[in-house]
Amino acid sequence: MNKQTPALLIRLWHSLWTTLRHAWAKRETVSYPEIKRPLPGRWRGRIVLTRDPDGEERCVACYLCSAVCPVDCIHLQATQRDDGRRYPETFRIDFSRCIFCGFCEEACPTLAIQLTPDFEMCEQSHGELVYEKEQLLVEGQGKHPSYNFYRHAGIAITGKAIGEGVGDTPPVDHDTNLP
Amino acid sequence: MGTMRIDGHEIPFQENDNILKAALAANIEIPYFCYHAALGSLGACRLCAVEVASVDPAQKPRVVMSCLEFARDGLSVSVSAAAARQVRQRVIEFLMINHPHDCPVCDEGGECHLQDMTVACGPPYRRYRGRKRTFTNQYLGPLVHHEMNRCITCYRCTRFYQDYALGDDLGSMRLRNEVYFGRFQDGPLTSPFAGNLVEICPTGVFTDAVFRQHFARVWDLQTAPSICPHCSVGCNTLPGARDGTLRRVRNRFHPELNRWFICDRGRYGHQYSEHPDRPLTAQVAGVKMSYREALAAAAEQIKAAGDKTGGLGSTREDLESNAMLQTLLNKLSGRFATFSDPQLETATAAAVAALQSSGGAPSLAEIEQADAALVVGDLTAHAPMMDLALRQAYRNGAKLAILHSGPCLLTRFAATTLTVAPHEIGAQLLHLNEQAATASNASNQHKKELADIATCLTTAQRPILIGVSETMSAPEIAALVQLATALGSHARLAYALPGANAYGTTLLTPTNSTNAVLEAIELGQIQTLIVMGNDPLGDARLGARWRAARQRLSTLIVLDCVATTTAEAADILLPVAAWAERGGTFVNYEGRAQGFAPVFQRAEPLPNTVEVLADLAHCLELTLPDVPAVLNNLFPGYQTPFPGTMGPSLPAPSLTMQTDTTIGTASITHPGHWQVALTSWYGDDALASYAAALVELAPAAAVLIHPTAAFKEGIEDKEQVRLRGPAGTVVLPVQLNNDVAADTIALARVTLAQLGVGHGDLLELERIL
Repeated sequence: MNKQTPALLIRLWHSLWTTLRHAWAKRETVSYPEIKRPLPGRWRGRIVLTRDPDGEERCVACYLCSAVCPVDCIHLQATQRDDGRRYPETFRIDFSRCIFCGFCEEACPTLAIQLTPDFEMCEQSHGELVYEKEQLLVEGQGKHPSYNFYRHAGIAITGKAIGEGVGDTPPVDHDTNLP
Repeated sequence: MGTMRIDGHEIPFQENDNILKAALAANIEIPYFCYHAALGSLGACRLCAVEVASVDPAQKPRVVMSCLEFARDGLSVSVSAAAARQVRQRVIEFLMINHPHDCPVCDEGGECHLQDMTVACGPPYRRYRGRKRTFTNQYLGPLVHHEMNRCITCYRCTRFYQDYALGDDLGSMRLRNEVYFGRFQDGPLTSPFAGNLVEICPTGVFTDAVFRQHFARVWDLQTAPSICPHCSVGCNTLPGARDGTLRRVRNRFHPELNRWFICDRGRYGHQYSEHPDRPLTAQVAGVKMSYREALAAAAEQIKAAGDKTGGLGSTREDLESNAMLQTLLNKLSGRFATFSDPQLETATAAAVAALQSSGGAPSLAEIEQADAALVVGDLTAHAPMMDLALRQAYRNGAKLAILHSGPCLLTRFAATTLTVAPHEIGAQLLHLNEQAATASNASNQHKKELADIATCLTTAQRPILIGVSETMSAPEIAALVQLATALGSHARLAYALPGANAYGTTLLTPTNSTNAVLEAIELGQIQTLIVMGNDPLGDARLGARWRAARQRLSTLIVLDCVATTTAEAADILLPVAAWAERGGTFVNYEGRAQGFAPVFQRAEPLPNTVEVLADLAHCLELTLPDVPAVLNNLFPGYQTPFPGTMGPSLPAPSLTMQTDTTIGTASITHPGHWQVALTSWYGDDALASYAAALVELAPAAAVLIHPTAAFKEGIEDKEQVRLRGPAGTVVLPVQLNNDVAADTIALARVTLAQLGVGHGDLLELERIL
């Protein structure tokens, strides 16, 4: 008998015992898609565009997300409403290119673009993975409730004149020289 | 003139340079806001702090503003010293106290000097938690958007607008930390150079209102060095395009021409290429067709016409396309012309011949150095940047004299203004010649003005004579040349020519060709006419004659990028690429050939004119030589100017002019008839008149009459009068204007086209009682 045989046998028994033990252990595998595991809130999945507490689009089409995107999958065109609000005329994300890095969410100054815990985006063709604004814009405020960019910005919109923003003083009357 | 040390680097400086200027010239970056090479130092922003070591080693080094401290030999400067860095950081922190949280919605973002400087010098976080001061904004017209909250009080806007461009409706108001830059009341800015506020403002107070409507960030814009297509000055520009549409035009530095600025026509006139009526599909007899089908139809017509083919080039098309059209017509033994008005052709030819023989026109930088200038005509409308250069000369003490018939913005700065009817301009120039040559005292009703102008020009060291060739006849242009000769070799001569490539096109134009083509059409000797980028049917003086001649044509083939009257009347319309969508060469008023590069392609690319002509030749089974060969043949030694370079002068054989230089008697008086003067404005040219934002600023159509003349005829202000011209009748309100000559009515180009008269023609005016 070889000098190493006892050690080998012990190892063999050890693995057999582990296998036997797992045969009766509680199962970790779930049968997806019948059972779906809860994902953490910070999961970087499907990208959405959220709305502010007034129900208006948060996105002001500043182009920072498309600038920071390492795979160039975001395309948008800015335009302006009559009430002074900027918004994207078109907003397109090519999810067949997206690597879900979350840079766009980090870059977004208005907390509009957010990554959600949803990864179920299988389609038959690449074209179907190009999401337009209608598919991206959701009704809620997402992870950041109560933030409203226009309340802090210096520009005037309908319902918020110059000087009515958070932390603003009333506008200076430039027609007088009195202090 | 010496050297100083900045952080251990020895850098040279010129006399009277400040530290900042010398450092920037040596590519050493000192942060700054209010300094501008054209506007000089002010010391308003306090950002350019540097530490200067004292000569006495016992004394401590001190922090100074580098823009206010002269460079001295042996001076030791530190940009990176801790004290200087701290000053800059605090300055930025104070500037940011009231700065709004606007970057995401600010059009300046990405090319904002304040953003860059905050990242470079400022503290990364905001410590101030107090409330922000706010300002209301003003409506400043369709070109410039105002957002006053973002101001950092560098005074660049007023220094440019008031001091540099001599405008008077934008200034600073109030005091302390509440300084406000704007107008007394809301309203469009009146200066033709207002658009430069967009570039001069280091932050987002003044932004481009046209670009804003279809906004894109600077990093997304496709750009390429280009040349402005709107007038003969040839300013260097940088158009920006995205997603197959042209979004904006910015200035591109050229040391001899426009330098840091361009006029509003150059900045906003580009909208013509995005005009909703722009033809984008080929049409045959009004039916949309593919390019190939239209081309085949055109080739068939040209084949049928054979040598009965004519071609009309254009002063707004590049050198290449005009040369190729000429070559194609030579192959077909057809006739070639480039102007729609024979008078304009002879005048422009005379001007180009004069420019060639006078040893070259002065560049804008040289015009700025003039100490006396005579301007004939309304320069602001025809070459705005020459006007800005003259304003600089005026600021430096030059005496300006203006000889004109209609309203003219430059008269405000003129030492002497002589307002005479169009027909008298030539006679006055001859008088001036006599005055300059002999100082004679000819009896003339404008004796004093003429004597003043003559004295001013003869005593000047660097006099400049500038004519507007569109409103001058060939003899008048010759008279101005004589005056230049009489003044001596130090006098310089320049002409504002009609069109970006008028100089180059004129060199290709056979003598008296416009008349020849027009008469040939009328006699049935031309059956098929190819019009390239020209609008003969919409011509002011001869439009009616062209329209009548058009009936005799069997086919009118039009290549154009705007929906002109001619394009609408075309049998075969071949839309071509606008200037930013193709490359080419424009020859400016100095004879400087400047190349421009294609900036972008439309989603459905249009062929450029040269390509259309080559395709046409291919369909006709003709072999045309390639463009460089054609141009080398026409201009021996020609080398294609590379876009973005200074632009070499065109090696052109000199143009010989045999025009009648006799000036007719001045007094052509018909009772009830008035002489017509063209009143143009800076947004009015063949292309810019399709730019929506500029058109919004166009002055209302009116009959401009001098108050005295109106009083003599019993005409009152705002009264409706009927004008009767050869092509039609127009009813317009009268507007009294002190800048119009006696016996003259000044009318806009559109009205002239409706009436069928040109500058200097006679017109009947009838009161409606």
